[in-house]
Amino acid sequence: MKRFTYFLFLALTLSFTACEQAGHSCCVKPTAAAAGKTTATTVANTTGALTDLSLYNLASDWTNQDKQPIKLEKLRGKVQLVAMIYTSCGYACPRTIADLQVLEHALRKYKPEELGITLVTLDPTRDTPARLKAFAAAHHLDARRWTLLTSQPDNIQELAALLNVKYTNDFEGNISHSNVITVLNTAGEIIYQQEGLGTNPAETVKAVEQLQQAM
Amino acid sequence: MARQLFILMLVLSTCHLALAQKSAPATMARIKGGTFVPLYGAGKTAVPVKGFQLDKFPVTNAEFLAFVQQNPKWRKSEVKRIFADAQYLRHWTTGQSIGTDAAKINNSPVINVSWFAAKAYCECQGKRLPTVNEWEYAALASETKADATNDEKFYQRSLEWYSQPNPEYLPSVQSSFRNYYGVYGMIGLVWEWTADYNSTMLVSDARTTESNNQQQFCGAGASSATNVKNYVAFMRYAFRSSLKPNYTVGNLGFRCAQSINTQLAKR
Repeated sequence: MKRFTYFLFLALTLSFTACEQAGHSCCVKPTAAAAGKTTATTVANTTGALTDLSLYNLASDWTNQDKQPIKLEKLRGKVQLVAMIYTSCGYACPRTIADLQVLEHALRKYKPEELGITLVTLDPTRDTPARLKAFAAAHHLDARRWTLLTSQPDNIQELAALLNVKYTNDFEGNISHSNVITVLNTAGEIIYQQEGLGTNPAETVKAVEQLQQAM
Repeated sequence: MARQLFILMLVLSTCHLALAQKSAPATMARIKGGTFVPLYGAGKTAVPVKGFQLDKFPVTNAEFLAFVQQNPKWRKSEVKRIFADAQYLRHWTTGQSIGTDAAKINNSPVINVSWFAAKAYCECQGKRLPTVNEWEYAALASETKADATNDEKFYQRSLEWYSQPNPEYLPSVQSSFRNYYGVYGMIGLVWEWTADYNSTMLVSDARTTESNNQQQFCGAGASSATNVKNYVAFMRYAFRSSLKPNYTVGNLGFRCAQSINTQLAKR
């Protein structure tokens, strides 16, 4: 009898586990409306609730170039320049990096605590954290300023959608994508977007300066 | 002892029933894999589409209401603006009920939903949004042919639908034609969200300066299309490329898809 009870429990546990798996962690994704609320209580002392238009409402899990798991909300609190790239990209991405470095230089009066630059890969299969780190080193990207991120394809797709980045894989390892540098305010809201390559950075610089002055 | 066994059986079977309902959906049709040439894609070559399952009908107001009731964060009053704009579910009177028009539209496709909302709905069902390629591939089918690209009559009918204004109340999801795969209303009901709606490069994509210049000009979008005759598909690609993930539109709904592998794995 005892044995049977034990068996019953085991069976129940198993069957509930199966049920849970079938339940698909319903609606934990993609949003993070709920997570936004939790965060509001946990980090309220520094930042308070996320605003409605904050990109940091995305609750997805990311990994940085040091293999540390991070939430996008970690980027909060400083102005961010954000671009989506992939490291095996031969043509556009090096120019995007160059454009970002032009901006970094023009905005060098702001410390890494005030202005961050975030690169997000569109190619999570090849762009491992190690590869992102090597890419950062090869381009002399200051780790205090630059964050390189990767995640699951689905999470990358959501972020790309919010950043209005269009991209597609061409089955030969190339990823066509629109070249956009986004300025996020400290709350993670899109303030300005610089489109194209080799674009005159004046407007972007102005957007960042205005945000910094407002702080 | 027998009673315990009975309870055990009951518990197990409830779960398995739930599982079975989720993974062997009578509400989905199997789309056989194949290849097709997308209007916009990698060059002008055929791309493969793996076999997949597709909802027979677009998601209805009643179905979406059930989802919203279970998931308060997707209610009109709760949803964050970054995930759905201010017009979200505008045709419902409240976040928790369809309202006065319920009887007329319960069984009509839900509209005024954002990409995030559509995606969340599908994930809740253990499904996902179809990709652009999957959707376009399944939409090639007429009543009798898997690929009706060269069927003038079919094309003409599609064109006529796209040229009609939206009715005040959308018809029920069953009312549109049933295609070769047993899927209803791919053309003739509403526009539909796709997972990678943002994959078409109709904006100037500066990967090569040449195409960038080309795309500065009006009509450049069509110039890279594979079949300029297919105006119906062109409208769909153009429409998609104008969307943002929190946009909601009065004639834009969705249906869900499922990969065949995932489905087997869950069994």
